[in-house]
Amino acid sequence: MDLFAQQLVNGLTLGSIYCLVALGLTLIYGIMEVPNFAHGHLYMVGAYVTFFAMTLYGLNYWLSALLAGVVLAVLGVLMERIVFHPLRHAPASNKFIAAVGAMMFLEALARVLWGSDFRSIPVIYDKVFTIGTLRITEQRLIVIIAAIFLMIALNLFLKKTIIGSSIEAMAQNRDGASLVGINVNNVAMLTFAIASILAAGAAALAGPIFLVFPSMGALIIMKAFVIIVIGGMGSIPGAVLGGYVLGITEAMGASYISTDYKDVVAFLVLILILTIKPTGIFAKGVR
Amino acid sequence: MAGQKKWFKGSTLLVVLFLLAALALPQFVSRYYIQVIAMSFIFAIAVYGLNLMEGYLGLLSLAQAGFFGIGAYMSGLLTLKIHVSFWLALPITALLTAVLAVLIGFISFRTRGHYFVILTLCIGVIINLVIEKWESLTGGVRGLIGIPKPSPLGPLTFNTLESQYYLVLAFLILTVFVMQRVVNSLVGRTFVSIRNSEELAATLGINVMANKLLAFAIAAFFTGMAGALYAGFIRFIGPDVSNPNLTFEFLLYLLIGGQATIAGPIVGTLVASGLTEGLQFFQEYRMVIFGALLMIMVKFFPWGIVGFSKMLWSKYQKHFMKKASEGTATMSTAKGGEI
Amino acid sequence: MLERRRYLVVFLVILLSLVLAASGCGTAKPAATNQGGSSTAAAKVVNIGYSGPLSGGAALYGQDTLNGLKMGVEEINHGGGITVAGQKYTLNLIALDDQYLPNMTATNARRLRTENKAPVIFTPHSGGVFAMQQFNQEEGFLIGAYTSEPKILETGNKLTYRIPPPYDGYPEPFSKAVMEKYGKRVALVPGTHQYAKDWTKVFVPVWEKLGGTVTGDFAVDYNKETDFYTYVSKALATKPDVLFVGGASKPTAMVVKQARELGFKGGFILMDQAKLEQMAQTVPMDQLNGAVGVRPVIQFDNPGAKKFVEAYKKFKNGEDPAWEQAWHYTAIKVVAKGMEKAGTVEDAAKIFEGMKQIFPLNANDWVAEIKGISAKGGMLGEAHGIMVIDGKYGPDMPITLKD
Repeated sequence: MDLFAQQLVNGLTLGSIYCLVALGLTLIYGIMEVPNFAHGHLYMVGAYVTFFAMTLYGLNYWLSALLAGVVLAVLGVLMERIVFHPLRHAPASNKFIAAVGAMMFLEALARVLWGSDFRSIPVIYDKVFTIGTLRITEQRLIVIIAAIFLMIALNLFLKKTIIGSSIEAMAQNRDGASLVGINVNNVAMLTFAIASILAAGAAALAGPIFLVFPSMGALIIMKAFVIIVIGGMGSIPGAVLGGYVLGITEAMGASYISTDYKDVVAFLVLILILTIKPTGIFAKGVR
Repeated sequence: MAGQKKWFKGSTLLVVLFLLAALALPQFVSRYYIQVIAMSFIFAIAVYGLNLMEGYLGLLSLAQAGFFGIGAYMSGLLTLKIHVSFWLALPITALLTAVLAVLIGFISFRTRGHYFVILTLCIGVIINLVIEKWESLTGGVRGLIGIPKPSPLGPLTFNTLESQYYLVLAFLILTVFVMQRVVNSLVGRTFVSIRNSEELAATLGINVMANKLLAFAIAAFFTGMAGALYAGFIRFIGPDVSNPNLTFEFLLYLLIGGQATIAGPIVGTLVASGLTEGLQFFQEYRMVIFGALLMIMVKFFPWGIVGFSKMLWSKYQKHFMKKASEGTATMSTAKGGEI
Repeated sequence: MLERRRYLVVFLVILLSLVLAASGCGTAKPAATNQGGSSTAAAKVVNIGYSGPLSGGAALYGQDTLNGLKMGVEEINHGGGITVAGQKYTLNLIALDDQYLPNMTATNARRLRTENKAPVIFTPHSGGVFAMQQFNQEEGFLIGAYTSEPKILETGNKLTYRIPPPYDGYPEPFSKAVMEKYGKRVALVPGTHQYAKDWTKVFVPVWEKLGGTVTGDFAVDYNKETDFYTYVSKALATKPDVLFVGGASKPTAMVVKQARELGFKGGFILMDQAKLEQMAQTVPMDQLNGAVGVRPVIQFDNPGAKKFVEAYKKFKNGEDPAWEQAWHYTAIKVVAKGMEKAGTVEDAAKIFEGMKQIFPLNANDWVAEIKGISAKGGMLGEAHGIMVIDGKYGPDMPITLKD
């Protein structure tokens, strides 16, 4: 029972990070129909920006996170303009290939610029809280709470602001949105910016508890894809739910089933879902 | 028609020249070049599989490295563990890989577009994981060590690098030959019509599912065969031969060369391998260049080197023909830009 | 007819690519080491090959191993090179990237052998060694194998030189030390890579023979898992006194740190792959209390080691060397001495024979004491462990190595 509670908390921490990354991915997919394979690498860049802001320039943790958000927003917009915008009418596989190219490019660039070493963002909030046998560090608590905060902020933005609702409108009906005078270009850039900020947020939060290295993006992107496929590509509630479910399942799975084949099982489940319901569980309408 | 007649002769000459060059190559270059080119030939065979799927059928399958890995391991296990002759192991491997592809196809062709890409990627990941985790069979992370060389075929032995090069070359020629026959047949045109519009193809009475399965099976057949050749050539295999990253490399080779062309895979693989070797001393920058190249290719040259050269050639020809014979100029350019 | 035309294009592009490859290889001069300051006009050059991961995920490891070789070569050249059968030679190190892939190691080896005539080719991974073993005897080059994988010497290859000491000497003294201090229950949280699996396989019987129990195996992929909390939580739920951990230093440090956060008070047994001094950059030393692992090179005070550490710091702007660098540095010197002894820079078999005959060495000149090279081709060195006690390195723990 102790272990169960502990793993639940562990799973929530993991799930929070997954949610933030998957949310960005699903937003981009919903608007652009681009499966942005390089999204995980934006997360990686975000972690490095936070790292260098703190260690090189001695910035405060929260300021560094903010800086990462700004840098990533710019990078996200650039990526949309340079990589995906010119391919907006191209076949699905071309966009995929461009995304793979962007992924290779960012990872290799990170290695050239920052080396392959594992780095760790200094931990400021390192107190450990104990409730019975349950233990959680301050930073992990921050991860869980801040992720929820970011998700609420995103939701308010999408529902309560005019720009935000234009994103929702476009996600639901691209042609309809442009008919009612929504600037498709601006919305695309905005979406990339928001998705990248979410990735930066995830990275800044996760940085102090995980390690920072160039291929960290490749690891999380597979998970984010699993999440948005299960949750339905383009579905926001699907990404949130999927993120937590995957995080908790991983934690529980590690403690109750064999660790050797757990990834195989995860991908098999995914294939099963895609086979039975090819558009995901929370799919938005018919494609 | 005179122009085409001339063309026929000219290209036959070039095919012969190419074959002669390929055959004579080991006499003129060092073993390093033989190794590089033989390796490229093996990968090119696998890229032909991807070409059939992505280029002609229009479905990007990211499970290709998985098939390559299965081919390598199956042939490796057959020859190493139960001492089956390479010449028996190779067709068995290729066929079984094709059968597996059909089984996977039944599941994966239920999805379309991005979902298909992601699903095949997942399948590739699963194959990779299973090879890595199934230690009792595959040797796990350590892999299979000491796979025998291809066994002699009558009087032909494959003990030297040069003879192995010719072996690989023979299979490459076989692959190109079969692929050319396939894509120029009715079946090939059916694939293209599915690529252009699945709905339209279906309304024309084409059995879309059956054709997709066929393409997937052929692609897997050759990819598995390439894997078997790899196992016999390098003679050591680890789980890396099925790593999804290898699929991305295949994709890079295909895009550089030109998808939906017969020459594309071999051209792309040779050029990319040449670049890889040439850029050896840039090491870390290589992937930066390749990543950028992939983005640039897909945007500006989606039909690769071969497609681009064809376009140039047809322009040149148009120009040339106009000057040469005013009257018959229009005919030969008819399909120059068609891929 | 149209298809025929394609062959023209095929041909032209193949030609183009070959020319490209040729010119690429021809013009790009190896940017490896300099030719040595004091090389006279009469000195000839002998190329030494290296193929390892210089890009991609394992690049750091590759660079570390390469740096050891680089420094060794530089030092030899500054000292006037080597004299083989009356002829002066300087060493030229040519490093190629293989991204940890065996097929690329094979290609690189062909290149190093046929284009650069390298008699010795180093590689720091077992896959690369296996791939090269398929043709190294035929082509006549010696493999400088930096891997503890026992199978590389079981293949009977006559030209394989295993550099690092075998790892099977560590488990017993390590186990005794922690067991005495912390208790008999150990939980296994090693990596899932081959080396960790092999280590675990050697470690478990030793631990059990000493009267300990294993509470469970919670192996986790150190390179692919983002968070170790779930695994460590599960391992700690079995109430162990000791954790057996190991992989690359930084992830290992994360495992240790997270175990402490989760309230673990016991000791750690570290596989030799994890370096205490590198872990200490991520975890405070007092959290490493009770961790036993390989003694860092920088902790040694014999003259050879001190000289090496000092020289390496100068060579790499104050960076501390680890055993990867130290063993490669040692290996290239052994090779150089072997060449001098054998009187040839070309015949790999004779060079290897020569290397076997240079012992005993003057201990003061070498980082670690090397007793010789076994008949199979493994270097017989010495090893030392160390335990962290009260936030400081404890006393030296000499380890007898089996052959």
